[in-house]
Amino acid sequence: MKKKKGWIPVFLLPTVVLFLLIYAIPLGMVFVTSLFNYRLSSPEMTFIGLDNYIRLFNDSDFYMALKNTVIWILIQCTVHVALGTLLALLLYKKPRGWKFIRTAYMVPNIISNAAIGMIFLNIFNPQFGVINSLLKAVGLEHMTRNWLMDVNTAFPSVTLVWVLFAGYTTTLVLAQALSLDEAVLEAAKVDGASGFQTDVFVVLPLLKKIIGTTMVMAATYMLQMFDLIYITSGGGPGKATTNLPLLLYGVYKGENNYGYANTIGVIIVLLGILCMTIINKAMKVNSDDY
Amino acid sequence: MKKKWISLLLTGLMAVSLLAGCGKSGDKSSTDGDTSSDDVVVINYPTFQCGVNTAAPVVAQLVEEFNEEYKGQYKIVLEEVPGDANYVDKIKVQLGTGDLPPVVYGGGYNLLDLALANDLVVDLTEVVNADSEWKGLYSDAALEANSRDGKIYASSVEGSVIGYFYNKDLFAEAGIEEPAKSWDEFFEQCDKLKAAGITPLAMDTADSAWVTQLWWGAMVATANEDGLKFMETMNPDDYNTPEMIASVEKIQKMLQEYTTTDAVGGKYENAANNFLSGQVAMIANGPWMIGDFSDTDKTSEGFADKVGSAIYPDSFVYDAPIQGYFVTKQSDPKVEEAAIAMVKFFTSEHAQELGLESQGMVPAASSVEVSKAATEKYPLLAEFLDQTAEATVRSDNMQATMYSNLLDVVSQELPRLHSGELDAEAFCQVLTDAAAKNE
Repeated sequence: MKKKKGWIPVFLLPTVVLFLLIYAIPLGMVFVTSLFNYRLSSPEMTFIGLDNYIRLFNDSDFYMALKNTVIWILIQCTVHVALGTLLALLLYKKPRGWKFIRTAYMVPNIISNAAIGMIFLNIFNPQFGVINSLLKAVGLEHMTRNWLMDVNTAFPSVTLVWVLFAGYTTTLVLAQALSLDEAVLEAAKVDGASGFQTDVFVVLPLLKKIIGTTMVMAATYMLQMFDLIYITSGGGPGKATTNLPLLLYGVYKGENNYGYANTIGVIIVLLGILCMTIINKAMKVNSDDY
Repeated sequence: MKKKWISLLLTGLMAVSLLAGCGKSGDKSSTDGDTSSDDVVVINYPTFQCGVNTAAPVVAQLVEEFNEEYKGQYKIVLEEVPGDANYVDKIKVQLGTGDLPPVVYGGGYNLLDLALANDLVVDLTEVVNADSEWKGLYSDAALEANSRDGKIYASSVEGSVIGYFYNKDLFAEAGIEEPAKSWDEFFEQCDKLKAAGITPLAMDTADSAWVTQLWWGAMVATANEDGLKFMETMNPDDYNTPEMIASVEKIQKMLQEYTTTDAVGGKYENAANNFLSGQVAMIANGPWMIGDFSDTDKTSEGFADKVGSAIYPDSFVYDAPIQGYFVTKQSDPKVEEAAIAMVKFFTSEHAQELGLESQGMVPAASSVEVSKAATEKYPLLAEFLDQTAEATVRSDNMQATMYSNLLDVVSQELPRLHSGELDAEAFCQVLTDAAAKNE
C-alpha cells in the first residue's frame, strides 16, 4: 500500500511554529544582541561588532567560570553517570528490595532544587551543621571549617550537592538493561562467560547508547545549573564556584549589560553543542546496536 | 476526503490555539493604566509591599483610602509581587520593553536613574512647586534624592535612619556601661565582650552583606572628610583610598575575631537570629527591626526590654530619605494625572504618619513629628530618633550608592577577606575593577 506522507509536515507545523517562536527566534536574538552595546542604562542599542567577545576573552572571571563549568560537566558525565549506571547494574540483578531502592534513589531527584539547596546549606553550616557537629563529636574539631566559604573546600562541597543523586541515570539505564534481549545473555552464558564477564563485555556495551544519552543529559544539566549554586555558595568565595549561568546572571542583574550577558549566553549554547557532539560521537549514540 | 478536511481543520485549530496568547491584546484592561468604560481611570500598581512585608498594611490602607477619596475618578488595582528582588527584576524587564506601570516605587533600588536613562519618567517639578503643602514635605536631602539636574522626579515617603542595637544584659555582663563614643572605644568594648565569652557582633556576607556593610560604611564616613565625601558620592568607582583600605582592615578583623562562625556565607537572617537569640551583643540595622524584638515567633518574651539603640561611634548615623515613588510616561494623559494624584497621596503627611504609627516607619519629612501614639507603641524608636539628633555626621548607606554589580562582588569577596586570601588593599582593588565594568 502506498504510504501518504504529505500530511506529516502539516501536523508538524504547530510544533515547528512554537519552536521558532519560543526557542529559535529568541536564540537568534541572543546571537544578534551579543554584537551590540545593549544596556538597560542606555536607550540606544549600538552595534559594536565583536567587542563583547573581545572583552569576554580578556575577562578573568569568564575563564574561571568556564573552567568551573567544564570541570563540573566532566564530573557529572563521569562520576555521576558511573554511580547511576553502577547502581542500575546492581539493581538489574533484581536483589531483594530492588524496587524499593530504585524508588528511594529517585526521591532526591524529585525534590525541588531550592529545597535541596537549603538542606545542604544547613548540612554545611559552620555553626550548627551536621558535618561540623559530627567532626566535633568524634574529636576532630580541628577539621571543622566553613565548608561552602573556604576557598579550598567550596568547590567539592558544592559538587556534593548534586553529584551523588543519579536517580534519572539509574532509572534510564535500568529500564534499558531490563529490556535487553535474553537470547544474547543466554548465548554469553552458553559460551561460558561468568556473571562479571557478561556484565562487562555484553551488558555494558549494549547499554552504551543509553549511557551516552544520560551523559548528554548530565552535561546539559550542568550547563543549566544555577539555583543550587546560587542558594549554597552564591558563586563564592571569590569566583571559586561561579559557573557560566551564574556569571551571566551577575552581568545581567548587576551591570544591566544585556549585550555582554548574551555573549556569555552564546558561549553556553556553543559549549552545549560541543558537548553533545563529543558525547554523541564518543558513545556512538546515533549508530545501530548491532 | 472528508477525513482529510477534518484533519486539516483540527491542525489549523491547534495552531491557532497555541498562538492565541502570543499577540498583544487590544483590550485596554490588560494595559498598566487605562480609562474604563465608566471613565474611571485604573492604575495597575505592582508592589512588593505585600504579604509579610513590613509596609504591606500601610500600602493596603492607603490604596483603600485613595480609592474611596477618588471614587468614580481614579482606582488603584494592586498587583502583588512578593519579594523585592522579584519586583526589581519585573520593573527592569518592563523598562526593557518601555512599558512601565504608571507608578513605580524606587525604594533603595535606584530604579529612577534607569527609567530616566530611557526617558520614561514624568517631570514633577511644576506640580510639586505649585503645591506648597507637597513641596513642604521635601527636606533638602529628600529633594536631592529625588531630583536630577534640578528637576524633581520622585517623592519620598520613608526615611532611612540607621544606627545599631545592643543587648543591655550582655553589655552589663561584660562591664560595659554605654555604647562607644569612638571607634577605639568600640573595639575595646568588642575585646571586653569577647573576654567575657560573648560574641560581640552579628555580621553577614551573603545577599550583599547588609549588616556588615553598615559597620563598614560607618567607619568610612567617620574616617575623614574624604571618607564622608565617598559615602555621599553616587556610584563611586575608586575604592583604593586610604580611608577605605583602613576600614576594610577593620572589617577583616571584625569578621575574623568578633563575630559568629556562620557570619561568613551567612545571610541577614543568620545575623538577625544570632542577635534575637541573645548570642551576640550588637547588630547594625534600621528601626524596622524594632518590631522583631517583641515578636515571640522570632525571639523570647521580654527580649525587647533588653535592647538598647545607639548611633555609631564618632557621632555618625545613616540618615537619608529612601528614593520614593515616580510617575512614568503614559500614552493617556489621564493616566499620568491619576498617577501623580496617587504619588501625592502616598507621600502625603497623612501617609507618613500612618507609616510611623502603624509600622514604625521613619517619615521622610522632618516636619512629620513623632506622635504620642507612635512613642507609646515604639518607645525604642522614639529613643533612637532622639539619639539621632545628636549625630553630627550623616550620610546615605553604602549599598544605596554603590554600583549594583558590586553588591554580589562584596558578597563573594568578603569570605576571601576573612580567610586572609585577600588583604584589604587587594579587596579594594577587586571592587575598583568591578566598578570599572559599568558605563
